[in-house]
Amino acid sequence: MDTLVARYSRPAAHQNETFGADQDEDLFNDMAPTLSLKFAMPPVAQPSAWLRAATDDRSNPACPIKIAHGTTTLAFRFQGGIIVATDSRATAGNWIASQTVKKVIEINNCLLGTMAGGAADCQYWLAWLGMQCRLHELRHKRRISVAAASKILANLVYQYKGMGLSMGTMCAGVTKEEGPALYYIDSDGTRLPGNLFCVGSGQTFAYGVLDAEYRYDLTEEEALALGSRSILAATHRDAYSGGFINLYHVKEDGWVKHGFSDTNPIFWKTKLEKGEFTNVTSQFERIER
Amino acid sequence: MAMFSQNPVLNGPNYSFAEVPRDRVDGLREHRFNPYTDNGGSTLAITGADFAIVAGDTRLTSGYSINTRYAPKVFKIGGTNSNQSDATLLLSVVGYAADGEALKERLDAVCKMYRYRHNKPMSVNACAKRLSTILYQKRFFPYYVHAILAGLDEEGKGAVYSYDPVGSYEREQCRAAGAAASLIMPFLDNQVNFKNQYQPGSGEGHALAEREKAPLPREEVEILVKDAFDSAVERHIEVGDGLQMMIITSSGIEEKLLPLKKD
Amino acid sequence: MPGFDFSNYNRNAALHARGVPLPKATSTGTTIVGCIFDGGVVIAADTRATSGPIVADKNCEKLHYISPQIWCAGAGTAADTEFTTALISSQLELHSLSTGRKPRVVTCMTLLKQHLFRYQGHIGAYLVVAGVDPTGTHLFTVHAHGSTDKLPYVTMGSGSLAAMSVFETQWKPDCTQEDAMKLCSEAIQAGIFNDLGSGSNVDVAVITADKTTLHRGYVKPNERSQKLKNYKFKRGTTAVLNEKIITKDEIGKYVSVQEMPVAEVEKMDVDS
Repeated sequence: MDTLVARYSRPAAHQNETFGADQDEDLFNDMAPTLSLKFAMPPVAQPSAWLRAATDDRSNPACPIKIAHGTTTLAFRFQGGIIVATDSRATAGNWIASQTVKKVIEINNCLLGTMAGGAADCQYWLAWLGMQCRLHELRHKRRISVAAASKILANLVYQYKGMGLSMGTMCAGVTKEEGPALYYIDSDGTRLPGNLFCVGSGQTFAYGVLDAEYRYDLTEEEALALGSRSILAATHRDAYSGGFINLYHVKEDGWVKHGFSDTNPIFWKTKLEKGEFTNVTSQFERIER
Repeated sequence: MAMFSQNPVLNGPNYSFAEVPRDRVDGLREHRFNPYTDNGGSTLAITGADFAIVAGDTRLTSGYSINTRYAPKVFKIGGTNSNQSDATLLLSVVGYAADGEALKERLDAVCKMYRYRHNKPMSVNACAKRLSTILYQKRFFPYYVHAILAGLDEEGKGAVYSYDPVGSYEREQCRAAGAAASLIMPFLDNQVNFKNQYQPGSGEGHALAEREKAPLPREEVEILVKDAFDSAVERHIEVGDGLQMMIITSSGIEEKLLPLKKD
Repeated sequence: MPGFDFSNYNRNAALHARGVPLPKATSTGTTIVGCIFDGGVVIAADTRATSGPIVADKNCEKLHYISPQIWCAGAGTAADTEFTTALISSQLELHSLSTGRKPRVVTCMTLLKQHLFRYQGHIGAYLVVAGVDPTGTHLFTVHAHGSTDKLPYVTMGSGSLAAMSVFETQWKPDCTQEDAMKLCSEAIQAGIFNDLGSGSNVDVAVITADKTTLHRGYVKPNERSQKLKNYKFKRGTTAVLNEKIITKDEIGKYVSVQEMPVAEVEKMDVDS
């Protein structure tokens, strides 16, 4: 099965599996694009199976290479545009690799991408998407639509299906033709337009808060607070999410950043000033049953 | 079937093919392709207002054996000559030494070519992006290394970029990588970024103010690096022998070699 | 029922098959050696205990008492060496009491090998048995599967090759007690510096016909260096959510209190 998948799902760019000679090409040839699509392959019959054994800590907890994962990200459309919010934690196995990851990727000044799954996969392919969007602008003398941008990404990851890419991403942007538009794309090749998405290991917790309070006619202030509060709920219950809340608001004339704020003081503020999170106490007395 | 699970990220960290056949029914057995060895060792990097320090121990191990007591893990990158006397960047690699060497050589070649073509050294943020793409080129056959790149940014401030094996990267104040990363990183969080430190008497309970963040002076950082490694050596068997420290300032790169315990 | 309790065996095997990792035992990736001299025997060990790549104990004791004139150096799973030697020590004492004779090293070695063979290597104890009894001076090695050797100089554990290289280059027949102690200590140091599983100090035990002397920390080539900075925090640096003070008088309400004389305990080496 693996052999079949490998044979038929490998993109044409990968037919040449030798490495070394073609790698040096971009050293000496200035014309080669920086983001080359040639990837080195392990010299085995089923590269994807080998890669899984070496890097996927779920199927092989003793895998030698731990890739950064784990996230809560959300984005929703409302009357004032789109709110995009994420946490900032990266985990590799049980290890918190970083608490300061920028999971909102600024593709250009009016398009945002979010990052869930493999950090490198998202960073690289969203940067690549940024390049494609710019090329589109130069070729057609107008900005790319969110629909087209998201489709470029979806088509790309679909080419690599079964190879082990791991990404769950959202593209949010505002264009003249579409207005505020939001798409969900994942490494299976799924591409969905929608009003509201949460992605990542903490998605269920974020959905819980977001669905309960969401209305299309939220004011800008309410919408920002809701995005932030949903991420807070997810960081509170999901061990793989945490760190800082990264908040963005996408408007007609581009996106606006609304801070990268530490969850800890926000949590205590929410608890003490709003009377939420009553499950958390600092009492010594045992709770009687 | 799990392969078509709705959302690959939902089921915890995994890929789009979640379930793996654990036992092979047929009698045939494939020889595992095992190109990686963990060569132990640990590295760390800390930035200051106008400098960056990258350090690593010099022990190279495999299993319970010491292959050598002096194998540098911190390299000068992008100089114009073989002794790298005019280099402006530092790269540390820890994990699989052969991959680390290959990565260093590759990045150095790229930086050199850039310097010859543009007649100026590569900026640290440009080099950081390039290193990320070099690592990602081997997404399906990764370099088994944790890399840290350091230099001075365009404003002259210390800059440290840390990487995962497939090229996800981030600019940070400090980072520990390698075997003793889990021992050193919490120490750095507390002593460099002052995590979990509050100003005594600044308030009651939750109103307590966090300790103000301020870049540390160079002498202080050198002390932290030495103490961090001395402690790591005490509790991690793969760390020891020598401490190689490279300090990058506007006047160039300085190298220091200090002894560590050898047991 | 005496002996081992296997009641969790099936459960743990089933869990392991489903991918739950087995708990990690502290193993003494170790260097232990022994060497006979004219009139007695010396055994020595390093003092590092590891759990994977982490040093679990920097100054553990790997020389175990069996009887006044028989001692054992243990490598392998720390708990197994500890309990196996204690068990055999107890059996040997009872045997000695019922026969009215001093215990013999061969008896000890036989009890150990029979016990270990019965468990087919699942008891991970690798031992160097040494002692002086009415039949003379003896030095054995016992492997976890139950095999034994009788030799004038022996090494065991992960550092055994490093240690044996010292014996093979420097050992001479008919050596004195000082020679044997120096040789054993150097062999252990070879393990300490060249084997990652071994480290810290050298412990030496010298057994002669009339007495046994245990030199704990015979050589200390790896003293901890002083920190360059003082890491004391100002009082109030840590955020406190709530506090409750229990005075010494009140403590009896929570636990039973009994005054104990302060015993001589080995202090751990920590920052001041």
